[in-house]
Amino acid sequence: MSHGHELWWLLVWACVAWYSTITIYISVKGCFDIKEMLERLKRDHEKQDDNDR
Amino acid sequence: MQHFSWPIDGTIVGLYLLATMVAGLWVRKYVSRVEDYLVAGREMNVYLGVASLAATEFGVITCMFTAQSGFTSGFSGAWPGLCQAAAMFVIGWTGFCVKPLRDSGVMTLPEMFERRYGKFVRWLAGVVVVLGGLLNMGVFLKIGGDFLCLVCGFDIKYLVLMMTALLVMVAIYTVMGGMLSVLVTDFLQFIVMSAGLLIVTAMILHQVGWEKLVATVEQHHGAGGFNPIADPALGWPFVIAQTLGNAAAALTWQTVLSRMLAAKDSDTGRKVYTRTSFFFVTRWVLPGLWGIAALAIIGWHPLKQLAADELAAIPPALQQKIENSKVGKPLAALSDEETAAIAPATRNKLNDASLRTMPLFLSAFIPVGLMGLLIAAMLAADMSTDSSYMLSWGSVIYNDILAPFRRRPWPHRKAIFWNRCIIALIGVYLFVFGLLYTVEGNVWSYLLLTGSVYLSSMSALLIACCYWRRANNWGALGAIILGAVVPMVYLTLEKLPATAKLAADIGKDWASIAAFVAAALGMVAGSLLKPQPRPAQTEAA
Repeated sequence: MSHGHELWWLLVWACVAWYSTITIYISVKGCFDIKEMLERLKRDHEKQDDNDR
Repeated sequence: MQHFSWPIDGTIVGLYLLATMVAGLWVRKYVSRVEDYLVAGREMNVYLGVASLAATEFGVITCMFTAQSGFTSGFSGAWPGLCQAAAMFVIGWTGFCVKPLRDSGVMTLPEMFERRYGKFVRWLAGVVVVLGGLLNMGVFLKIGGDFLCLVCGFDIKYLVLMMTALLVMVAIYTVMGGMLSVLVTDFLQFIVMSAGLLIVTAMILHQVGWEKLVATVEQHHGAGGFNPIADPALGWPFVIAQTLGNAAAALTWQTVLSRMLAAKDSDTGRKVYTRTSFFFVTRWVLPGLWGIAALAIIGWHPLKQLAADELAAIPPALQQKIENSKVGKPLAALSDEETAAIAPATRNKLNDASLRTMPLFLSAFIPVGLMGLLIAAMLAADMSTDSSYMLSWGSVIYNDILAPFRRRPWPHRKAIFWNRCIIALIGVYLFVFGLLYTVEGNVWSYLLLTGSVYLSSMSALLIACCYWRRANNWGALGAIILGAVVPMVYLTLEKLPATAKLAADIGKDWASIAAFVAAALGMVAGSLLKPQPRPAQTEAA
């Protein structure tokens, strides 16, 4: 009797496939997010400094 | 035989640590306001959010308890991951509670409550959140150090050294850079952690083989290893407790919410939720597979984990009973007198056997070179979790518990200084608690139970705050008190020798469910009991 282990087989391979893909995708896109976040923070701080003056 | 080589694996680990510390300390120059420190200036975008949330919610402790679940319950042990993924997806997709929360512009969950329930409830909610969170997090450091000692083959006497080193590294960049450092290091840690998880899983699937894994589960757990309802040790209470606990965690767990609150808007935050949701299946299924592989290769031999003198102190008849025990329950077949005949330290070791088998298996299974990657991956997982948790609970202490002591907003420099002090103190607490407290039984159930100290009440408060007009501060107080009392009483019963058996009979799952029911009843009863203010007389009589 299989006890439905085909479902678990499917889930395990779905996890491996999804996780591999998302790791590569996020490794690339996340770099851009960090760059943008730091640029925005720098701009905000400069604006804040100008306002303070 | 252990496969950790200092020249090869040590270099890989050293390089990873150097890169993390440099990245974490580099971004501290962008921190000038308290919002930068606590919520990264609310500038986080989707992909960084996904990486950070995934890295935060997967620590060495996660790997250990999910592998333990796989070891003791087979594939059924991954059920909590399915519940959490479903909850994250539905909440992210619908914006249930999290949209109004992010749109409100608050930095912490209790801050939101002040608007509906008043200042005292905010303060009290802050205390409960921190109490539940710190109890929950208290075991992280010790279990992380345990894992590293076992996998590297170091003597357990180096555990304290390992814990100190881990803590100091994490504390340095978290204290200095706050959420900004946490986000950037989380990103790096996500990549290293994912590479390690995937490579080890691929090796297990290739070398141990799917058929052997399935056969092991069938042999030790039968149908219950594939279906949690069919496992008498899990059953409906487990499924209900997991569903409630994981849905509440997705709604109110401060470390998860802090990604929503750091997102640049609520749509971004919701995307982070939906796109990270499947990761919660992965974080249970893959390490669960490691646990099953450990059972397939090493088997269930708790006595082998004892030293020679500890083994000699156990009578042969008891040894036989322990050796034939059900996986993960070495003392279950012993009477009270027989259990008492075993020294407490030996009992703890036997109870921990299911937790320690996976790292023991990996220490011999992973070859030199890949061992360095595995250690780096696990360090990455642990550091990202510890840093985020320290920052999250620290932010609640500063923002909500200390709020009554700030009549006017503090200057940014002073606010950041106090946040840094709070995080450093949390580090000291982690170290001391980790050394003193021993978890009894299943680690995940402990985490869910300690989490339910606040998950139960905070989810009741949040849902009512967003969607029930009649909710008020009486209801909030009722939910907080009842939701916290139930798990605290249970944990106390568990620790007292006279009531330990009663606690074991009730079980952690029923205690968790009771906490949710009590909190909901407290909210409804309290809110309905408070007299309604009379409507203003707007019309002339």
